[in-house]
Amino acid sequence: MPGNTGNGTPMKNKIKVFRAMNDLTQDSLAHAIGVNRQTILAIEKGKYVPSLDLAFKIARYFKVNVEEVFIYDDEIPAEPAGA
Amino acid sequence: MKKNTFYLLIGCIAIALVCIFWAADELHAPLLIMVAFIAAVALIFFARSKVTDLIQDERDIKITEQAMTRTMQVFWVVFCAFSIGAVVQMLQVPSFPRTLPGQRVVTLLSPRLMGFVQLGFLCLMIFLYVGFRIYYARKYGEWDSDEE
Repeated sequence: MPGNTGNGTPMKNKIKVFRAMNDLTQDSLAHAIGVNRQTILAIEKGKYVPSLDLAFKIARYFKVNVEEVFIYDDEIPAEPAGA
Repeated sequence: MKKNTFYLLIGCIAIALVCIFWAADELHAPLLIMVAFIAAVALIFFARSKVTDLIQDERDIKITEQAMTRTMQVFWVVFCAFSIGAVVQMLQVPSFPRTLPGQRVVTLLSPRLMGFVQLGFLCLMIFLYVGFRIYYARKYGEWDSDEE
């Protein structure tokens, strides 16, 4: 479920997985966090990257950390410390 | 207020505005349509705040923002180009001979033509906004469907 933040950095998310684990429809999740169903669909498909506020709302709804739902997938490997 | 009632109200306001526009034209009272238009927009904003089943989330706001920004980016160039031309005509710089002997002076921006140009700008702005809104709505998955 790759997305794009607009600056070329792909963002992945596991909303669909968490929804399946919690037996939730897009509509019920959208209603619970106060957005449209299309917004959940757009986030799942990677067409829209949510704001921090919405990302935290989604993560807290599933009672997990935001990093577990949203993965910042930069392909540049981090420089080792002291290199 | 329900969403469908709100849309019905917008339709009624649009019809009323067309009637007022016609009346203003017949009565030669441009102030009438100007006041009516402002009142109509205020009424729409007020009615929109009373709609209970219309969710406007951050994605909707982003689509609106992007569409409006792009519309203004295109529109201001066209508008400024026209305005600069209008200013030049208004100033009527007398330093240069405007016509050759025997040539007719062509007034590009007569008051009547100005009205048509303004109408053109209005249509351009609406078309640009609708076009950009469709583009960004599609980009942010407005009409996507899934397996659910």
